[in-house]
Amino acid sequence: MPGSLSILKFAVFKPLFVAFALLFVLAHPAAAQLSFKPTAEAVQEDKLLNALKEGDKITGRVSIPDGMSASLIQPAGRDWRDFQRSKLPWIGGIAILGMLAVLAIFLMVRGRIRVRQGFSGKTILRFASFERFTHWLTASCFIVLALSGLNVSFGRMLILPWFGADAFAAMSAWAKLAHNYLAFPFMLGLVIMFLIWIKDNIPGKLDLEWIKQGGGILSADKHPPAKRFNAGQKGIFWIVIIGGALMSLSGWFLLFPYLPANVTALQFWTVIHAVIAMLFIAAMLAHIYIGSVGMEGAFDAMGTGEVDVNWAKEHHALWVEEQQKKAGAPPDRTPHAVPAE
Amino acid sequence: MKSFVAALAFAVVAAVVVAVVLNTFQEPSSVAFTTTGARVGDPGHNLIGPS
Repeated sequence: MPGSLSILKFAVFKPLFVAFALLFVLAHPAAAQLSFKPTAEAVQEDKLLNALKEGDKITGRVSIPDGMSASLIQPAGRDWRDFQRSKLPWIGGIAILGMLAVLAIFLMVRGRIRVRQGFSGKTILRFASFERFTHWLTASCFIVLALSGLNVSFGRMLILPWFGADAFAAMSAWAKLAHNYLAFPFMLGLVIMFLIWIKDNIPGKLDLEWIKQGGGILSADKHPPAKRFNAGQKGIFWIVIIGGALMSLSGWFLLFPYLPANVTALQFWTVIHAVIAMLFIAAMLAHIYIGSVGMEGAFDAMGTGEVDVNWAKEHHALWVEEQQKKAGAPPDRTPHAVPAE
Repeated sequence: MKSFVAALAFAVVAAVVVAVVLNTFQEPSSVAFTTTGARVGDPGHNLIGPS
């Protein structure tokens, strides 16, 4: 009888089983009390992440249309996050606050750049209405983009405590919409600017002389001769074009985040966008300063489009001569001479 | 002054046109990146739902 035999065997070996069970329990009291700590035995996260090389990822498999969601851990993302939280505020702070400080010191030391011979009362057309339209289209978009972009980088730190969570959230949501959609007229303005002003912004030998003389900014007696745009203005033009192109390209990837190949590429473009933005804003602060407070008579160029003839002769002597030749006017007369307001 | 006002007006109009065009061609993320099995009926008015 097989069944009877099994029962007999169990009866014989039962004391032996009990003895082994007691031995096991006494030898491993912790296991018997279920105090096992799985985290102590598991792979530590830091060790795991440190073992991953640059570009490595821990990925899973997803069936939803968002392929990027398969990335579970990407160690390079920590560097990106650290950059956003620690390095970027320093870069932005030094660039923007540093520029403001330099401009303030310059204004205190040099003062406002005056028209040496005073206003003549006669004006000359400096920028046509379409050129001014293009300038203000790009500039107005830039100001909104800059402020809303700075809100992304510094808003939580600087504005949230003042506004409170609800107001800051509402303001940031509208700022984000403005940032996203005003980027397009800004890019259009950049393209038009490039097309209409490129011919006057090719660097030449005359610019080297202008730079050697510091643009006459530090001297109250003389300004080096320049054509329509001097070397400083050409520098601003190329900063706007190159900086704007980089902002547009990187911004395009941020607007459509599935264009870059992967998350790493997307993070790269966010860094480019943020760093160029800080430098761009700093450069534009200098441009705004010299075009308004810093130089007497300069704002009229983009305000009414007409500048005083004496201002034009001091800063763009060769351009004034060209205009007079085109108009067939004698050197001392101007083609669009009208009384200044 | 006219150029300045015209530029501001154009910027606003262009931004609105771009918004309308992009919203016409693009699906909200709650639809584009989910399948019907994982899609909720009303995602609400938040960052992932319809604006």
